[in-house]
Order: sequence, then structure tokens, then C-alpha cells
Amino acid sequence: MNLHSIGISHHTAALEIRERMWLSDDEIRGALPRLKEQKHFAECVLVSTCNRTELYGIAGGDIVDDGGLRRFLIDLKGASPSVGTEHFVSAHAGAAIAHLFRVAAGVESMVIGDVQILGQIKDGFNLARESGTLGPVMNRLMQAALHVGKRVRTETAIAEGAVSVSYAAVELASKIYADLTKKSVLLIGAGETGELTLRHLVGKGIGHVTIANRTRERAEALASAMGGTVIDYDGIVDALRSVDIVVSSVTSPSYIVQPGEVQKVMKQRSNNPLFIIDIGLPRNINPAAAKIENVFLYDIDALSTIVDRNLDRRRGEIPKVTRIIREELVAFLRWQNTLEVGPTIQEFRESLEAIRTQEVMKHVNRFRPEDRDLLELVTRRIVNKILHGPTTVLKQGTESGTHSEEVILRVKALRDLFGIRDNGGADHEG
Amino acid sequence: MNMQPVVLFLLILIPLLYAGLTTVYGLQFFGDFPGLTRFRTPALLITVALHIVYLVVRTIAFDHPPITSVFEIMTVLAASIAIGYTYIEVRTRASATGFFILFLAFAFQTASSVFIRDRFDIPGYLHSVVLGFHVSAALLGYTAISLSAAYGFLYLMLYHEIKSSRFGLIYNRLPNLEMLETMSHRAEVFGFVSLGVAIVIGVIWLPRVFHNFSYWDPKLVGTLVIWCLYAVALGAKRQLGWQGRKTMVITLVAFGFVFLSMTVINLYLSSFHSFH
Repeated sequence: MNLHSIGISHHTAALEIRERMWLSDDEIRGALPRLKEQKHFAECVLVSTCNRTELYGIAGGDIVDDGGLRRFLIDLKGASPSVGTEHFVSAHAGAAIAHLFRVAAGVESMVIGDVQILGQIKDGFNLARESGTLGPVMNRLMQAALHVGKRVRTETAIAEGAVSVSYAAVELASKIYADLTKKSVLLIGAGETGELTLRHLVGKGIGHVTIANRTRERAEALASAMGGTVIDYDGIVDALRSVDIVVSSVTSPSYIVQPGEVQKVMKQRSNNPLFIIDIGLPRNINPAAAKIENVFLYDIDALSTIVDRNLDRRRGEIPKVTRIIREELVAFLRWQNTLEVGPTIQEFRESLEAIRTQEVMKHVNRFRPEDRDLLELVTRRIVNKILHGPTTVLKQGTESGTHSEEVILRVKALRDLFGIRDNGGADHEG
Repeated sequence: MNMQPVVLFLLILIPLLYAGLTTVYGLQFFGDFPGLTRFRTPALLITVALHIVYLVVRTIAFDHPPITSVFEIMTVLAASIAIGYTYIEVRTRASATGFFILFLAFAFQTASSVFIRDRFDIPGYLHSVVLGFHVSAALLGYTAISLSAAYGFLYLMLYHEIKSSRFGLIYNRLPNLEMLETMSHRAEVFGFVSLGVAIVIGVIWLPRVFHNFSYWDPKLVGTLVIWCLYAVALGAKRQLGWQGRKTMVITLVAFGFVFLSMTVINLYLSSFHSFH
């Protein structure tokens, strides 16, 4: 199986290089058939994201023109000379499969455990199917990659925990409140991180959104987009009485809420828990308010602690992910061996049977008519005995699945020794 | 049929099962053993089922329900806690609190198995259905209060971890504060009502059965004090709208009184109220 991968990623190239090599869906649709027409690959899939552009394929012949493939991709984007062949990395056979599985598992992503990559691989899979470059092997390989992605996300914590400050705030809110759909949020200021945090909360179904901003028009535009209401900027402290979550991200030289005000508000709200996310720089809420009972006040440093901790946890899951990848790699190679071994045994049998038939036909007249059945029987037995040894050894290799590379070598040796033609047609056509 | 060997076998087996179960839940909480997940709930169900079998067999073997001594009551209490927790785990699918709750069951059952004595000669009033209601209501109440305290304790651990921005193991594994508070509050309300029923039945029925009945009986006074404490706590929560840490602290203080009642009064203060 002449599986080859070639790609550019954040490990090998800076953002401006990756940007040049990013492929739209239409560009992928155009490139895939050309790769097949130019005999680079019999089957191929292209995956392109902001962090990687990668090509996976089954070579049409015995030799993969790695340099030619690199130039093909560079020329496709007209990216020479800013992008060079040195920006690409390649892998072959098992290493290429393992690389795809690692990408699907999210361990090759810039943010470990990234969940978007699985959808992007699926997009590449669908584009290859549409373009007619998806044969049985790539089809099986991509499904295996998606399976790896799903397994690592259900069996490990590789994708668990917030890895952005805005999402860390939502994660923290979910550790305080049981049901965000019954809670309300006040957004103070309409800055980028504040808005992103609000979007995450809205995505989690937050019950009610209130926005206060110095520029009321900006607040109204955001409220209209998020389905919330707008209050005057001066009414922030009053609003604290009724909301559960506060996201504050205004630029202010002094604190806009003081501990005394929070203390008073807490009495008015019967000491109901109040979660305040202060992502303003300088901080908007006097940090002394964090000492008040049932007030959970966090600044950007505290949220960054959550992010760092979650990233550490994700890194700690990599050994488990590697184990899953190894299991799926063995399963795929086992399937691949079966694919090769079955037809090889069949063709080997047909080849010997053809020799037997030919020789029997040639010499049958030398035997008495009553001995001809015996001749048939004896020659068949000889062929079966010759077949038995190689067939058993090949099948044993596929059953155990532990000597996959060895099985491939045996299949190749058998084909070479007995002159069995390459059966690439049936298995490798897309 | 002589059932005492079966009783003895289960007497030894049940605390061992709880020890194993607590270990499994502990390993899950403090470590990372995904392979244990599929054994966890079946092991819990088997333990609870065998505990129920033990209570039934013991009742048949000794011809009375296991409510005639503090250590008999402890095994019923352990079973109630385990059954209560099983219900919560099956309903909420939240198993993170299992270690803490089942540890209580393990502790009660171990104390019971070590100190329990086989008794055949029991007074006639112990066959009374009214007594059955009285003791059942009291045990349900104490079980619910124990669960309420356990959830209150977990709430405070998580509260302090979040407040101090530590975000460690407790933060990762426990359910959210609001859910812990709700679980604790519901268990507390259930416990309060059950204890109320036990007190009402007791105050009406006990004077008719015991000629030496006294309203100053330590257990009765202790239970009344506990009940009043819970009444004040629940009333304050309702009337003043208290929520969060303060209410959980009150829950734990109240449980401290319960613990005193269960140990000091039962073990050290003599009373008509011991049923043996």
C-alpha cells in the first residue's frame, strides 16, 4: 500500500506561509481531480485549515514523486517563491496513517484537543467524495481517522476544559450555577473579550442578557444581536441586585464598582451568589469585593490559571490518546493486510491451478482413460499441498495483526517470486 | 433452618463490600481509572441488594427487625444511606460524590459488624407495627440528614476551592455548587419531615407502652433540639432567603448535634428509649 502524506502546518511554517497555502473548498475541488489525472495519486484527500494544509493519497505507481507533489501544491496557490518545498513535511505508509490519526485526535493542533479539526477532516473527506478521488482505501482511512477523533474525545479528557479566557469564564459559571438557562447576565462594556464571553453564555442558553455601555448605540446593536436589553451605564450597581453573572470589560482609570456597593447589593439580593468576571484592564471591580460571602470575583489572571491548568490536563492525556491511535493503527493495518492477502492467495491459487491444468492437458493422453481421474486428483492434491504453507503463513499474519509490515513484505515477495500481476486495479481505483 | 451461619457470613461480607465500593469510588475521584467505570454501578447495586438480604435474613434469624440496639440501627442506617445514594446516582448520573457518601455507609456498617450482638430475647413491644413506623421514620430522617450534611461538606470544599482560585481535583470532579446545595437542601427537608413524623408517633405512642416514660428522656430531648434546630434553619432559609455558604455551615452544625445524639446519648445516657 503506497500511502503518502504531504503537508504544511504550524509546526513547519509561520502564519503568513500557511495563509498562502490555505485552500478554499473550490480550490480543493479543482486540485483533487488534477492530482489523479497527473498520476500522482490513485486516491486522494486534501484537508485545509488555518493551521494546516495536508494531502493524503494512495500513489498510482510504485514511486511517489514527493518533490513533484510539493511543487504541485505551491504552483496551485502560485505561492512561489515565498513558499518553498522546505516548508512541507512528508510521511509514508504507517507513519502517514499515524500522522492523520494524530491530526484527527487533536494532538497535532495548535491548541491541543481542538475539536474543530474533526469537522475539517470530515469536510476534506466529503470534498474528496464529491470530486471522485475517494477510493476504498482512502474511504476506509478517513472513516478510521474520524473514528479515532471520536474515540479520543469520548475516552479521554483531551478536549475537556476551557482553553480560552472567554470560555474559562463560562466553565466557571457552570461550576457555580446548575442551569444557566435560568440565570441572567449583565455585560458592562462592549469590548471584544466581553462580547466573546457573552456569546459563549448565549450559546449555553443563558436566560436573560442585559448590556450597559458608555455608548448606548453600541450596546443596543449588541443587545439586538444577542436578544438582550440595554440599561444606562449609570444603572450598573442597581442592576447587580437582580443579575447572577456580571461580565465587565470597560476601560476605566478607577474601579467602577466598590466592595461597599457589592455588600449592600448582596443584602438586597438575600445573599444570592453573584459571579463577577472582571476582564477590564485596569480592573473594573475593586478586588476587595472577592472577600464578600457568595461573591465570586475573578480577573483575567484567575481565568488564565484555569486555561493553563486545562492545557496541562490535556497534555497529560496524550499517552492515552497515543494508545488509542496505536490500537486504531493496528486495526487499520490489519484490514489493509486482509485486503492484500485475500486477493493474493486467490491469484496465487489461480496461477498454480492454471499451470496444473495446462500440464495435465498437455500430458493427459499419456495416461490410460481409467487413470485420468486419478491424475486429476493427484495433481490437485500436489497444488493444494504447495498452497497450504504460504496460505497459512499469510493468514496467520493478518489474524494476529501484530506483524503488519512483515505481512506486506511477504505478500510482495510472493507476488514477485510467482509473477503474480499487481492487482491495484480492483483495490486502488477511485 | 439455621440461618445464623448465613447471618455471620453476610456480617463479615457487607463491610468488606462497602470497603471495596468506597475504594472504587475513591480511586475514581482521586485518580484516573476509566476501566473501573463499568464495574462501579453494578458493584453498588450488588452491595445494596446483599445488604437488604442481610437485613431480611437477620430479621428472620433472630425473629425481630434489627432495631433493638444502636449497632443494629447502624446497619439499617448504612443501608438507608447506600439506598439513598443509589437513588441519587441513578437519577442524576452524578457519581462524583459517591466516595464521600458511601464512606459514611462503610463507617456505620463496620461499627455495626464489629460490635453487634445476637439477641433473641426481646420485649414484646418490639413486635409493634407502630414502633416499626416510629423507628423507620427516625432512621429515614437521620439518613437524610446525614446525606444533607455530606452534600453540605462537599459544597463547602468546592466553595473554598472556587473562592481561592485553586481549581484542583475538587473543582474538576464535583458537580456545581447550586446542585450540591439543592441536594443538601432536599435531603434536609426530607429528614426534617421524617424526624417530625418520628417525634409525633413517639410522643403519642411511647407513654402508652413505657410506664417509666419521661418527657425529659435524653434521646427525646436531643431529637427535639435537633428538630427545632432544623426548623429554625429551614425557616431562616425560607423567610430570609438565605442561600449558599451560610446555610451549608448551619447544616453541618446541625449534623454535629445529630452525631452527638447518636453517640453520646445512645452509648452513655441510660434511658427507657433504648429498646433493650
